Amino acid sequence: MADKNMTTMSDRNLQSITTSQRVKSILGKAGIYLFLGIMALIVLFPFYWMIISSLKNLSEYRKAIPTFWPHEIQWINYVNAFNTANLGRLFLNTLYVGVVSTILSVIITVITAFAFARLEFKGKELLFAMLLATMMIPGELFTITNYITVVNWLEWGNTFTALIVPFLVSVFYIYLLRQNFLQIPNELYLAAKVDGTSDIKYLWKVMVPLALPTLISITILKMMGAWNTYIWPKLVTTDKEYELITNGLRNAFTDTSGQADIPKQMAAVAIVSAPLFLVFLFLRKYIMAGVSRSGIKG
Amino acid sequence: MKVVLQNLTKVFPSRDKKSGKEVVAVNDFTFEIPDGKLIGLLGPSGCGKSTTLYMISGLQKPTSGKIFFGDDDVTELSTENRGIGLVFQNYALYPHMTVKQNILFPLQNLKGKDKMTKDEMLERAYYAAKLVQIDELMDRKPSELSGGQQQRVAIARALVKMPRVLLLDEPLSNLDARLRLQTREEIRRIQKETGITTVFVTHDQEEAMSISDMIVVMKLGVLQQIGKPQEVYDNPQNLFVAKFLGTPPINVFNGQVANGKLILGENAVLDVPGVADQNVIVGIRPEGFEVDPAGTLECQLTNLEVMGRDVSVVSTHVASQNPLVRSIVDADNKIDLSAQTIRFSLKPHKVFLFNAETEERIYF
Amino acid sequence: MVESKQQWKAWLYLAPAILLLLVFTVWPIINTVSMAFQEDYCAQRALMGETYEIGIENFKKVLDYGNFVDYLTNTMILCVATVPISTILALLIAVALNSIKTLQKGLQTIFFLPYVTNSIAIGMVFAAMFNVIGFRKAGGEALADSWGIINNVIMFFGGKPVDWIGANSSLAANRFVVMVYSVWNALPFKILILLGGLQSINKQYYDAARVDGTPRARVLTKITIPLLSPMLAYVVITGFIGGFKEYSSIVGIFGDTMGPNDMNTMVGYIYKALSTQKQGAASAAALILFGIILVVTLINLRVSKKRVHY
Repeated sequence: MADKNMTTMSDRNLQSITTSQRVKSILGKAGIYLFLGIMALIVLFPFYWMIISSLKNLSEYRKAIPTFWPHEIQWINYVNAFNTANLGRLFLNTLYVGVVSTILSVIITVITAFAFARLEFKGKELLFAMLLATMMIPGELFTITNYITVVNWLEWGNTFTALIVPFLVSVFYIYLLRQNFLQIPNELYLAAKVDGTSDIKYLWKVMVPLALPTLISITILKMMGAWNTYIWPKLVTTDKEYELITNGLRNAFTDTSGQADIPKQMAAVAIVSAPLFLVFLFLRKYIMAGVSRSGIKG
Repeated sequence: MKVVLQNLTKVFPSRDKKSGKEVVAVNDFTFEIPDGKLIGLLGPSGCGKSTTLYMISGLQKPTSGKIFFGDDDVTELSTENRGIGLVFQNYALYPHMTVKQNILFPLQNLKGKDKMTKDEMLERAYYAAKLVQIDELMDRKPSELSGGQQQRVAIARALVKMPRVLLLDEPLSNLDARLRLQTREEIRRIQKETGITTVFVTHDQEEAMSISDMIVVMKLGVLQQIGKPQEVYDNPQNLFVAKFLGTPPINVFNGQVANGKLILGENAVLDVPGVADQNVIVGIRPEGFEVDPAGTLECQLTNLEVMGRDVSVVSTHVASQNPLVRSIVDADNKIDLSAQTIRFSLKPHKVFLFNAETEERIYF
Repeated sequence: MVESKQQWKAWLYLAPAILLLLVFTVWPIINTVSMAFQEDYCAQRALMGETYEIGIENFKKVLDYGNFVDYLTNTMILCVATVPISTILALLIAVALNSIKTLQKGLQTIFFLPYVTNSIAIGMVFAAMFNVIGFRKAGGEALADSWGIINNVIMFFGGKPVDWIGANSSLAANRFVVMVYSVWNALPFKILILLGGLQSINKQYYDAARVDGTPRARVLTKITIPLLSPMLAYVVITGFIGGFKEYSSIVGIFGDTMGPNDMNTMVGYIYKALSTQKQGAASAAALILFGIILVVTLINLRVSKKRVHY
């Protein structure tokens, strides 16, 4: 059966095949880069528009023919935005809620994951399965009762406690960390027991360093969650003193019609977005690793 | 279709950016694969044999040098235009397709004047499947097949478009010992039936020797020796080839040549006329020993391993590079294990001398 | 002895998590279900001892209430349009990214950027991009008119400008804006997951396809998509779940008023009922949402079981 094909190559013009395959491959590559380039521009455009709009003065922004770079850079928009939305207060509030809830949440996650990964107790498997089952239920279902619990029963309305406590336990993070802990050989734990190392010391000296990438991912995602949360704070806080950044931003600029001072709005949006970008820039690896395993925003 | 490699060289940029050293995977490789033969590319891992195969396939581009199929220079031709069939080490069967779909896949890609009707394709697919004896399994998925069966499907898929050259990358490495023996006979049979020039890569010298028309021994990207398996075995051009071929492996000694005699330890063991006085490395095939009370080579006897027809005599010798000297002699020899020593005479054509520096063969 | 020691130690470690879960997860499940079946339940009055009739009246009311059906339709339309579009786009981008070496890391970072944003904040940016700016105040200061950057682009290509989100905008235009924003928002996660899936596919399948001269399109449909099908099923399911819970991106674009055409969604309905102390209705709506998500997920799993390989 080989000889049937023996002739085929000499029939074809080798040179033309070589040329056409090269042209094809270059065109293919060019097409791919063109497609990716256009998509990247589309993805980036809102950020670009946010930044240049935030630096224009109002009349330039409203020009019929848009300008793609501000004639005169208006840093004053940022000052105005910061004052109008009282961004300083919002930053501090959000930072406080974010840091406290992240620290507490990480501690709870670590000891819970440790118990599930290393300790033996009755009903462990059942309890863990029940925990996982709660992940299937949409959060809105909890919110209704939690609202009643927090506002009507615990009377935490307008406190930071209401913003922190209900979200301290994340079943998903416990699951993630437990899987990570399980990969650490049990012999290390038994050896530590033989040496008389306490659990807490072992956790701190062995497990936590080994699971550090996961812990960093959890920390960042939790902080980002505090930065982006909107619905719950809106429900349980009415007092400006406890307002978080997203709510403050939305409330300060209720007018989204064309008549509003968009450059100032965009400056505020840019200020609010900046910390997220900075975190992303430096900790991209951990964020992407965490997200690819979790698929939840915040 | 004969395949010619001309000064083929492949240089990989260094993975370690700091040192910036390039890796020469294949170095100035020239040889010709005759039409319709089964060729084994043989060498330890990292010798460039797989790289050579992938360059023939077109999946990798040579840094310099040329490849010809027949008289066509295919160096610049991309893989799909070369008309080759390639069997991957892990078979690379599409897991979501049945055996039939896997075998049909290459045919469905054909365009222009090569395009086939559905019936033609099916006929071809069944022909290929019958050839490798898997026509009963056409509706199974790869995950439902044994390793050997998957291997056959992979060969059928490579054969179905009637390639000008068939390439196999470590075709037997994923099979267990029993299947390996069976499959290598199978490959030989299929190759004979189709007459397609076939190149396969292996690190197992026994495998290569047993089925190849020719073997190509490589080391660190450099061609060591080409020839018929028996010729290469009987006439290694250097120490590496001698060591690499043969089970049990060749026994290696440090020796001297003085006055036309080969000296191992303190005794002259063999006449080597015409060789200048020098230090040499001596290779003696296990079958090159004969038990002989008047023999010239005296070894300290350690053990006997009876293998039925033959006996493997395990002994030690001061000049040996390895801790043990292993010789295979006829079982008829009566060997007294309680004796401390054993004497051998040597078969001259099973003894090879190598230059102590260059490790090249010294002929006598 | 060691075992019993481990027992109480384990429960000690678990105590904080279990306590919090009991209050904020287990109790809500029980209570929400029970509220849903008590007619017109109101938490404030319940605290004062008011009791309610048991029945499915809440569900009936929610479904009879015209707006809820509108919100449901709204949510469905958003889901059905955005999930396939974003999945296909993400697939193409991921495949393209996977086929290049130069600039891969940089482009990957760019495509992930929308993920690390505040959905309310960037919603405001989208609103600004779609906005028609300026009206002429009779005798007032002369402000230049602008159609907004998106309309500028449309007009540049010879199209007619549209009032996307203004006071007189149409529902279809509103929906379009939300869809564009949703797709933009959904891309990064999908690209990340699909690219991860692509990178874990054995390269030899592609070498084998190359040897056989398989055209690019055929490689995509016959090899890549089938091998990627578990990941595709995953992003589609999570996409639908996310789509059904869409709320804050709409608030970002339109503000709390949800725009001139009341672009509210099911989640929005739940919060509206909640903040007006109609916990019974909110609970019923939440259960309906849960039911829909469950059914959609099951259908998806069913379909993917037939289509997904392995």
